[in-house]
Amino acid sequence: MTELDPQVLDDILSLLGELKEDWDYEEAIEPQTRFIADLGLESLEIVVLSTMIQQQYGKLPFPVFFDDIGQRPVDDRDVTVAELVAFVSEHRQPISQEA
Amino acid sequence: MPTLLLGLDGATFSVLDPYIEDGVMPFLGELIEGGTRGLLRSIMPPLTPPAWTSLVTGKHPGQHGVFDFFQKDEPGSIYFSFASSQNVHSATIWSLASEQEKRIISLNFPLMFPAPPVNGVVVPGGMMPWRQLRLGCHPPGLFQRLQQLDAFEPREMLDMEMEVKAIDGCPESEYADWVQLHIRREARWAAVCRHLMAEEQADLTAVMFDGVDKLQHLCWRFIDPACRPTNPTGWEQDMIDLCELYFRSLDGLLAEIVSDAGPDATVVVASDHGFGPTRDVFHINSWLEREGYLYWSGEDEAAKSRAATDVGFAEMTRHVHAIDWSRTVAYAATPSSQGIHIVEQIPGTSGRMPEEARAKIAVELAASLMDLRRPADGLPLIEEVWTREQAFAGPYEALGPDLSMVLADGGTLSILPSETIVARREQPRGHHRWEGTFIAKGPGIRSGAEVPELSIVDIAPLLLHSLGLPVPEDMAGRLPIEIFEPEALAARPLRLAPASPEPEALVGAAEALELEPDEQAALVERLRALGYVE
Repeated sequence: MTELDPQVLDDILSLLGELKEDWDYEEAIEPQTRFIADLGLESLEIVVLSTMIQQQYGKLPFPVFFDDIGQRPVDDRDVTVAELVAFVSEHRQPISQEA
Repeated sequence: MPTLLLGLDGATFSVLDPYIEDGVMPFLGELIEGGTRGLLRSIMPPLTPPAWTSLVTGKHPGQHGVFDFFQKDEPGSIYFSFASSQNVHSATIWSLASEQEKRIISLNFPLMFPAPPVNGVVVPGGMMPWRQLRLGCHPPGLFQRLQQLDAFEPREMLDMEMEVKAIDGCPESEYADWVQLHIRREARWAAVCRHLMAEEQADLTAVMFDGVDKLQHLCWRFIDPACRPTNPTGWEQDMIDLCELYFRSLDGLLAEIVSDAGPDATVVVASDHGFGPTRDVFHINSWLEREGYLYWSGEDEAAKSRAATDVGFAEMTRHVHAIDWSRTVAYAATPSSQGIHIVEQIPGTSGRMPEEARAKIAVELAASLMDLRRPADGLPLIEEVWTREQAFAGPYEALGPDLSMVLADGGTLSILPSETIVARREQPRGHHRWEGTFIAKGPGIRSGAEVPELSIVDIAPLLLHSLGLPVPEDMAGRLPIEIFEPEALAARPLRLAPASPEPEALVGAAEALELEPDEQAALVERLRALGYVE
């Protein structure tokens, strides 16, 4: 399994932490939190969230990621925060090192 | 002098005129009496994301890059992504006004997230989920400002479930609540609009009301006088009354916003497309299968457990697994685009489809589509078929479908497998038409005039002109000078601005093809086996 980039994990947890204020979600959001079953998002909302994430990390192959999830049995058709972070960590464009 | 754009998604005069005549929409009647009206022709496809994008860019989809709710990232890809503001490859009224230091308010327009960095405020609409609206608002901090308003309730303003019900339907017991929710929803957007108008003193204020489209999809038979039941049941009469209440409430909201804008404001009412009744459902992929262009894989196990109303990542890639790509030549990926894509690779090979073969397939398909007849009455099913070049000429045309079609009764497509090629609904539903709505009133605009049909791409030049800004030469639209009093136009003639630099055209893989002779021969042989070259 791809390692979770601590920076990406921190960014996405921070993003979700900001959003959850509007969701009436009281629990802590952790790597194993599921977007649909726990946070109550619709499938398409995760797609939209990916647009926001790409604004920060550049273009990512989300269609293939969603394709994999869409093919799972219906009860498993969900995404954990850790899965999303692993995907972004693996495919994010390298940050240019400025002197 | 402020400029106000009131967007009414899917508004059509065949609905508005009877409501005006019956006194349900008195304000709209006054606006027409004191201004100019005309039909507003939409673009191919007459669909919310590309059509509103054409309205705000003054360009056609091949020039701005938006074709559908979902679209290809690259010409040859079979994967589709969710369309966002990042797919709009053109200047917009928002960016052009901002660059020239005009202040804008943009509320509830699609393809506005992530929000572009405009001079003013943006609350995005379209498929923006309410749970993420905090991220979508511009500038940062706007969401928190709006939270102070009682009327600001994101969950009601952007409920995606309502979108689904508009298309897929809902039980009769839910109709009334669904319409009531739209009445409240429009009132919330109007309240946000009026609040921001007072706070921002914007040069251009634009707000879009999308309940018109939603109600017309689901409740057409209660809205269109020609389709209403002659002897309505109690429930049907309640629905007729409730739909009337929606339009009456909307009229009141428009009146309040226009009043706030002041007597010197230029007011433009525009829709992205029109509406009309439809019964036909064309199962396009099953027809392609019957004609030998498409083969199902039989491996789309996930489809079996999907609800009909499921919209999400599974649907974005449904065709990827449902179709046998080793044999399929043409397919439809979404019902909304009304289009057919021809595959980029020759099926069963890694070679790319030569242009000659692609053109031949397109011609064959178009001819076969035009030959189709409706089982119900034997009349043609398809009214028009456009090639990609006809529909989408421009730097982004390679992202659009190879063929786009117009069904004779404005019918809808289904991409799902079906034993029946053309199904017929028991009750008429509302669906998109080309002929939308245009009304304008303000200083220098003719009073009580009706002009011949305008194009949706004419609205951006009109808004820029109203703001006192030049119109870029690369806009496909024109300033509709016929709506102005001659002396007003003489006093403030059209000014043109240089075109933006033309983006480099996306090149389809076939056009970039350079093959060795032996590779070429092998591919031609494969095409011959499939019947695409002689």
